[in-house]
Amino acid sequence: MYNFIYQAILAALLSSFSLALFSPLVTLRQVSYMGEALSHIAFAGIALALLLELNLQLTTLIFVVIVALAISWLSQKHKLQEANTITIFLSVSMALGIILISLKKGYSFDLESYLFGNVLMVSPSEIYQLIVLALLDIFFISFFYKELFYLSYNAEMAKFYGVPVKLVNTIFMILLAANIVITLRAAGIILVSAQLILPAVTAFNLVKRLDYSILCSAFIAILAASGGFALSWWLDLPTGANIVLLEFVFYLISLLFMTRPKTA
Amino acid sequence: MIEICSLSYNINRNIILEDINLTLTDGEFAALIGPNGAGKSTLIKLILGFLPLQTGAIYIEGIPHLEWLKEHSIGYLPQHEEFNRNFPATAMEIVLMGLVRELHPGSRFKSIHRQRAMQALTLTGIAHLANHQLGSLSGGELQRVFLARALVSDSKYLILDEPEASLDQPGVKSLFILLKDLNKAGKTILTISHDLNILSEYCSFLICLNRRLHCHTSAELVNAEIIHKTFGDTVRLIEKDY
Repeated sequence: MYNFIYQAILAALLSSFSLALFSPLVTLRQVSYMGEALSHIAFAGIALALLLELNLQLTTLIFVVIVALAISWLSQKHKLQEANTITIFLSVSMALGIILISLKKGYSFDLESYLFGNVLMVSPSEIYQLIVLALLDIFFISFFYKELFYLSYNAEMAKFYGVPVKLVNTIFMILLAANIVITLRAAGIILVSAQLILPAVTAFNLVKRLDYSILCSAFIAILAASGGFALSWWLDLPTGANIVLLEFVFYLISLLFMTRPKTA
Repeated sequence: MIEICSLSYNINRNIILEDINLTLTDGEFAALIGPNGAGKSTLIKLILGFLPLQTGAIYIEGIPHLEWLKEHSIGYLPQHEEFNRNFPATAMEIVLMGLVRELHPGSRFKSIHRQRAMQALTLTGIAHLANHQLGSLSGGELQRVFLARALVSDSKYLILDEPEASLDQPGVKSLFILLKDLNKAGKTILTISHDLNILSEYCSFLICLNRRLHCHTSAELVNAEIIHKTFGDTVRLIEKDY
């Protein structure tokens, strides 16, 4: 019983923490819409895995990574507006997911737990995946901090000044896709994008440095995950929704403490 | 030395640059003038590698420019730089961007880099703004931050796209005095500008561009005939007193 609860707490904390680490970068690079789209695109990956009876997480991860890189490539090569490209892939993936699910006749698919997340469904092996993901996120952001900083500021100028933009952007997209897929079971398709945005916008109201905002964002997410889990325990409410609502409350509170830039 | 050979460039079949041949020798302080849409910014972006070559070639110190740019940097002040005004960066962090090429991926800036960035900020007169957020700076102050970034790598070449934008008249004058000093110290400078008076006072070489290269001659030779050839009938020379 207690192992089961610890596992669920860990799932809530680790998934919120990982998404929050990426949150300031996703927000600054204005790819938060990409985060939302990838979570929906994952639905087609899940459906494909179920239909072909493949490993669900690995198939979804490969599918989402391929689509994320395709969006990035199409936007850069064909000068399509990224928002348009994302919308095309989002709609097509959802349509594909629905068709694939309906092809799997007689299969009862627990859609709700994927849409809204369920930390109680997370298995021990998924906890290990979440731990590895959090460590990879920490390593990537710490190692490429300088590069990510300038890439988020202005990709064209970053490239001009010698930032390996293609390499860092590709790793960023792969890790973003991995974050969405691996946290999906705990955070949910619908709610994962909120956890990619809210911690960062709250942090930016409180601190004016990227490194501090990443730390602040992670702290907010841990606080919201702990509070969200406690609320769901006491009030028997869904954990994912509690976490998102608490993060929103923190955002509202942060508006009261908003720091202004120093004036010249 | 920057050499441009038989360079042409078009966008959607519209010819932007046609058969440009130009040599910018070391130590030159060159000005690139021409009407709007003449291809000035395109020419600069081609030199800097922002745009891919279509026809022709560019050599820097005898090496194809993209090869040269992999190992070296050119100081560059863009006309407009797109960025989020709320981006959490200080002036110092933006100036340090000019030193990224000197570091391996994953390595951090050291105090020597910060000292160099501070020297560049001092040179452009805004050392006191080093720790200020970008979003709190005025247009003129931002321009000086970007100029400091262009100077910090101590590149042999400096390319500026309308540096006088966002600066008031005394600011333009002090900027060109600084550029002249840098030029005297050995920097080769290429600047786009519309201010013919200030160019004739400070620049040593004039490049008149209107899709084709009309002339390139010493800046002292700016006269009504050359201006007419470059800009057509729409421009006349007016003396301005700074």
